[in-house]
Amino acid sequence: MELSRRRAIHLGMLGTVGAMIGGTAACSTSTSGGSGGGTNSIDFWYWQDGLSEKVVDDAVKRFTSVSLKPQQIGGDFRQKLTTTMASGAFVPGITGIKGEDFASFTPQADRFVNLLDHGADKLAGQYLSWKWKKGMTKDGKLIGFPIDIGPTAHFYRRDIFAKAGLPTDPDKVGAQMSTWDDYFAAGVELKKAVPTAHMVSEAWSVYNVAVSAAPARYIDENEHFIGDQDHIHTAWNYAIKAIRLGLDAKVQSGSTDWNAGLANGSLPSQTGAAWGAADIQSGAKNTSGNWGVALSPGGSGNIGGSFLAITKECSKPDVAFEIISWILSPENQARGFTDSALFPSTPATYAMPALTAPDPFFGGQVTIQVLGQAAQKIPVQYESPNDQAVSAPYQNELTNVESNGKDPDAAWADAITEAKKIGQRLGVS
Amino acid sequence: MAVLRPARPVPTPSMQTGAAGPGRATGFRRVRSHWPQYLAISPFYLLFSVFGLFPALFSLYLAFHRWDGLGEMQFVGLKNFQYLLGDGTFWLALRNTFIIWFLSTVPMLFVALAIAAMLNSTVRFTAFYRIAYFIPNITSLVAMAIFFGAVFSTNFGLVNVVLQAVHLPAVHWLTNPLGMKIVVATVTTWQWTGYNTIIYLAGLQAIPSEVYEAAKVDGAGPIQTFVRITIPLLRPIILFTVVVSTITGMQTFTEPQVLFGNNGTLTANTGGAGHGALTMVLYFYHQAFDNHDFGYGAAIAWAVFLVVMVFAAINWRLVQRRET
Amino acid sequence: MRANRFRGLGPHLVLLVGVAISVFPFYWMIVMATNTTSDIYRYPPKLTIGGELATNLSHVFEKIHFFAAMGNTIVVAVSTTVLVLFFDSLAAFTFAKFDFPGKRILFALLIGIFMLPAQLSLIPQFITMVKLGWAGQLQALIVPAAANAFGIFWMRQYITGAVPDDLLDAARLDGCGFFRQYWHVALPTIRPGLAFLGIYTFIAAWNDYVWPLIVLVNPDQLTLQVALSQLNRSYNQDYSMIMAAALLAVAPLVIMFVLVARNFIADAVKGAVRG
Repeated sequence: MELSRRRAIHLGMLGTVGAMIGGTAACSTSTSGGSGGGTNSIDFWYWQDGLSEKVVDDAVKRFTSVSLKPQQIGGDFRQKLTTTMASGAFVPGITGIKGEDFASFTPQADRFVNLLDHGADKLAGQYLSWKWKKGMTKDGKLIGFPIDIGPTAHFYRRDIFAKAGLPTDPDKVGAQMSTWDDYFAAGVELKKAVPTAHMVSEAWSVYNVAVSAAPARYIDENEHFIGDQDHIHTAWNYAIKAIRLGLDAKVQSGSTDWNAGLANGSLPSQTGAAWGAADIQSGAKNTSGNWGVALSPGGSGNIGGSFLAITKECSKPDVAFEIISWILSPENQARGFTDSALFPSTPATYAMPALTAPDPFFGGQVTIQVLGQAAQKIPVQYESPNDQAVSAPYQNELTNVESNGKDPDAAWADAITEAKKIGQRLGVS
Repeated sequence: MAVLRPARPVPTPSMQTGAAGPGRATGFRRVRSHWPQYLAISPFYLLFSVFGLFPALFSLYLAFHRWDGLGEMQFVGLKNFQYLLGDGTFWLALRNTFIIWFLSTVPMLFVALAIAAMLNSTVRFTAFYRIAYFIPNITSLVAMAIFFGAVFSTNFGLVNVVLQAVHLPAVHWLTNPLGMKIVVATVTTWQWTGYNTIIYLAGLQAIPSEVYEAAKVDGAGPIQTFVRITIPLLRPIILFTVVVSTITGMQTFTEPQVLFGNNGTLTANTGGAGHGALTMVLYFYHQAFDNHDFGYGAAIAWAVFLVVMVFAAINWRLVQRRET
Repeated sequence: MRANRFRGLGPHLVLLVGVAISVFPFYWMIVMATNTTSDIYRYPPKLTIGGELATNLSHVFEKIHFFAAMGNTIVVAVSTTVLVLFFDSLAAFTFAKFDFPGKRILFALLIGIFMLPAQLSLIPQFITMVKLGWAGQLQALIVPAAANAFGIFWMRQYITGAVPDDLLDAARLDGCGFFRQYWHVALPTIRPGLAFLGIYTFIAAWNDYVWPLIVLVNPDQLTLQVALSQLNRSYNQDYSMIMAAALLAVAPLVIMFVLVARNFIADAVKGAVRG
């Protein structure tokens, strides 16, 4: 009875609303809205600093067999892309996809062109293998072409470390603080020598970096929940240890306190992705020359980094592939680094002059020597489409421990319960 | 819905509609005789049926499905609603929304009424004041977020500097659950007080000055005049502000999103540390546009609708009762 | 005379404190727009107006077609406001002063619509616009916003108190039909109410962001807020440039408000007689 009534409602709704939606979702090719940019033009969406604007402009001049129409989309890029793709009209032929959103597009792989059909496999060797695999679906289609990556590293203040009797040379810092335990031990030293300084600005910066270096994330390739296993628990325990030792300043990155802490030396150490260097530079301009970059404690990981994709609506996928592989060639990735601080996904670029110049902000250090090394050591992690949803409770419970003094064991148990619950609804077993 | 009656019986409406004679014609003729009225209200309902009805039905349909925005929809029956009932985060968001609403709306409306009354009785510089009080409404959200983030920051914020100057302990405004709600409420109050002031002022201007003359003749003082005459005459406007603040307050989204939405490390739109500033609509937005769970998002949105409706009806009743 | 002047001082002091609180963040926006981004991050922050406005604005003009976008925004905001003022006040007049079958249900429906979170309808609305062939065009912003529940509710409440019934009765005795009562009796008496609704609608249309971002698929035809959003980067924001653009973008709103504020003042003069 109950079932049949529900079914009746369902069918009734299908009749009225469903027909309209079905019509739009399925018949994307039939709409006359200029999908993919018409017969001889290709709409190309990316975001500010998602690619080097100069390279994109050059691509427009270079590929004249089509009219390439680049457009920088502001605001919530994913929201705009999803809405447009759902409607089936005005879908760009080429689009950027942000790293954190990429996994959620993989279930819709059939709405994108498999780049292997256009000869992408010949280029595979030029790109970091773990990044290349990230752009693939489980059944081996390549839908995302690598733009940049976000290798993790350890940024530190040489002057403050010197004051605490800690090493200041990048290699020595990397060697002495290669594990989280060593890093925390150095933090204790630091606090003894400079009482106002905290090694860790917030527990999340330990946890997040540690998870990014783990062999797996919260969900495995069979969509099983593995967030209660050791690789996550270990990362969690490191974050808790930082709080327990009193090394955690409890200052959120990007906040006023954070910027002030970077500038005045109370936050002399930051662990995070390479692109975070830009935030440190703008937050603490007056400390130029005093910073150093070392390998991250606990091994290298990756946070962020984007892709280019070609949609099924694209009128000339062959040309589109030529365009994206040209824009993201090792030579042009060097320009991406110079113009928009995009960390290249092509190891050949690391030897180019754009990257090997000494960086005055980091005391003349050639940062690529460290970051390039980090980039090659990154583990291949499977990222499920539901990874973000499932990871939210960990983050929430960690802040509960950090700011509200919640018992860490209770918080860990609650995080797992909640993550499992969310996962179940989304079809994670 | 039946409780959403007009604030007061519409004065002498029947005598205005002369065409409908006392004999009470049949339904159709009664309807037809009112064609100018239907024509007058038709633009809104026409626009609504084209641009509003489809989205509303669509979202209702979505609430019974799983949909990531791109793939096939999958019918899940009442599962989204079942999950919602057991979803602690939603209930936390509901509680947060009410606390933030209370902390912002109550001071906001009282202060706005006081400022409006003062503005109405001063003659000089009124244009200047009106513009000045309306400025928060057009201040850039990004500027606002940076500014208040700095004012409430733990080590260097103005608020904590003042607290410490009077020997009170500093508060972690941006990570403490109650502190975060106070910050959101402060920003909301800051941004919308001037707006409500203008509303009240427009209402006060409509009160004929003869009414005040009469009160003066009767020997009523300023406070007495305000309570006995101004407030009752302003009741339709007060009702408006209470209902609108309830509806918009229950849908609070922008302020917590801008203040605690994207600080670089935490997952976007989860309302900051410990979900301290997570409101219902922010949670909806997070589920729909960050987790790509449009079905569950729609279920949350309909729950928000239900909460808003019940609560707005209660408030409507409360304001209305005082009147009689 | 003297005592009188002092009596008026108290409220002014209170009001001025309120003004300071209201205006300070806006002032700070000016500070940010006229300095460099690193000045903003400095501790203690810089609180004086600097000389970088021209540089910041030139960066803005390099990156976006600012004035073209402003032109589009003016078209949208002006036409939306005119339509809303007419449709909303007419409907509100009807709801406030007339009775007709189904009125209560229709009004309850109107308030109910107001209660649905707006973000919910992004996807279906966009689908509708694509079907209509309006995606990418300015009417996709204007037409759906041409009448709204908020404005009708506001004007209804306002008209209930502001338009005296005996005035309408008198007009009817003179032979005025429904629309002439609206035009000749109601409209002239509700100017402060309309002024508020006009400002509200204009600002809302001016600052509308999420919906235009989605529906304006043609990069050559953007509104100001959508164009401004292209100045945002995922990290290392140039806040000074963003603030310079934001400042220039709200300038028309301030001018508009100064112009409309006169509509309130008309009545305030009447109040002067009473004081």
